[in-house]
Amino acid sequence: MTTATLRDVQRRGTLALAARESQRVVVLWTQTILPPVVTALLFLAVFGGALGSRVGEIEGLPYLTFILPGLLVLTVAGSAFSNNSTSLFQAKSEGYIEDVLTSPLQPWHFTLAYMAGGLVRAFAAAAVLAAIATPLTGGVENAPLAVASLLLTGLVFASLGVITGIWADSFDQHAFVANLVVVPLAMLGGVFYTARTLDEPWSTLTRLDPLFYLVDSTRAGLTGVHEAPVWISLTVTAAVASALFATATWLVARGWRLKP
Amino acid sequence: MSATPAALLVDRLTKVYADGTHALDALELRVPSGCFFGLLGPNGAGKTTVINAAAGLVRAPAEKVYVFGHDAVRDPRARLLLGLAPQEVHLDRFLSARDLLVFHGRFFGMRRADATVRADELLTVFDLMGKADTKPNRLSGGMRRRLLIARALVHRPRLLVLDEPTAGVDLVLRHELWRYLRRLHATEGVSVLLTTHYIEEAEALCERVAFIRDGQIVAEGSIAELRDCFGGERLEDAYMEAMQT
Repeated sequence: MTTATLRDVQRRGTLALAARESQRVVVLWTQTILPPVVTALLFLAVFGGALGSRVGEIEGLPYLTFILPGLLVLTVAGSAFSNNSTSLFQAKSEGYIEDVLTSPLQPWHFTLAYMAGGLVRAFAAAAVLAAIATPLTGGVENAPLAVASLLLTGLVFASLGVITGIWADSFDQHAFVANLVVVPLAMLGGVFYTARTLDEPWSTLTRLDPLFYLVDSTRAGLTGVHEAPVWISLTVTAAVASALFATATWLVARGWRLKP
Repeated sequence: MSATPAALLVDRLTKVYADGTHALDALELRVPSGCFFGLLGPNGAGKTTVINAAAGLVRAPAEKVYVFGHDAVRDPRARLLLGLAPQEVHLDRFLSARDLLVFHGRFFGMRRADATVRADELLTVFDLMGKADTKPNRLSGGMRRRLLIARALVHRPRLLVLDEPTAGVDLVLRHELWRYLRRLHATEGVSVLLTTHYIEEAEALCERVAFIRDGQIVAEGSIAELRDCFGGERLEDAYMEAMQT
């Protein structure tokens, strides 16, 4: 078998695993797509609707408009993370991951295919949320920038989900990362406030959170308002996404917690 | 490497698990191409570790395990040549029996149409066509065992590895599986590596047999050769003698 033929085999295998992961998202849509959409709509209703009029404007934007980019980022981040960590954990704990581990896929194919499932879930949920919410908040300032920022969000958290799925040996460990890493990152990422309105050290701490840059660049794409230069936001998050993808692939290559 | 590489070649493979268990101790094994080969040994002797090292389910050093001449660790071509039916039945519960086979074929690079044709062919061979749209957790134990073996065959491997395929299987199904395996070996020329605790199974199916104990191969040969070497009327006598010396 030539190298070119082998690459073709691996490409088809990668697409098949991505398709299997995406099929799982679609079949389980009441567990994968509906919950994040409902959660984000509740945030919009409570913070944007009920409390928004009391908060007034932030950075010249109605509060509902201000928080929507952050809620889209949270939806993409949460969906991409939990999809991959759960699917991989299930495959590992129920043993059927052996079907993939014995295949001719390379570690980076494995990582990429699992990430694809997370991205499908994240963008399906975000698309539903955006379709419902953007008519309430006005037009989109720079759609390619918003999509690029959300894609980077998906890549960062899909990779983190793969790493967590590989690491977790129990649902408790999975929940530990979700509750003590992802949720604090989300809450401190400038979804509901601007970093410049905070006192030190909170302003600096917020700027150390990679999610801040994702929220900020998504907000720049949707509304034109941002705190950090957009190129810094995109560079920081692309670097984080690359590092996490490389880490996930390295763990798969080592067989860490996948192979005895 | 010789001109006609062995179906499986293990070259002084040592495996120590993280908990300190010495599973394999410089184990050497050669499964000739086209052979129906049995690997017999007590629990904990290292049978599953050898198999999993060949299939990529256990971490092993490079240049120690070869499948038809391809390094099982470094060369993905080795994976394409080997089909594994593990001891434990682990099947993706989100997929129907047919989808499970189709996806397996696609993971191994088959086109969807080809994988679907092959899946239906195997569902027929293993008497599972009536359950093609049923998910594995709705199948009986015997059906799931057959589906597991069918899965191992979807991508047309040249070496089929069966890890205790009839463990916990009733007598009728055991004989059915033997019939499938004999036919497969005879008609498709597939090399087979079988581990089993049932000596009569090895006698009924295998052309050559190796005895494994404490992570090492202690004897290897045809059934007649092993009987001659260790004495006794049956393979069981030779096995018992080999395990006690």
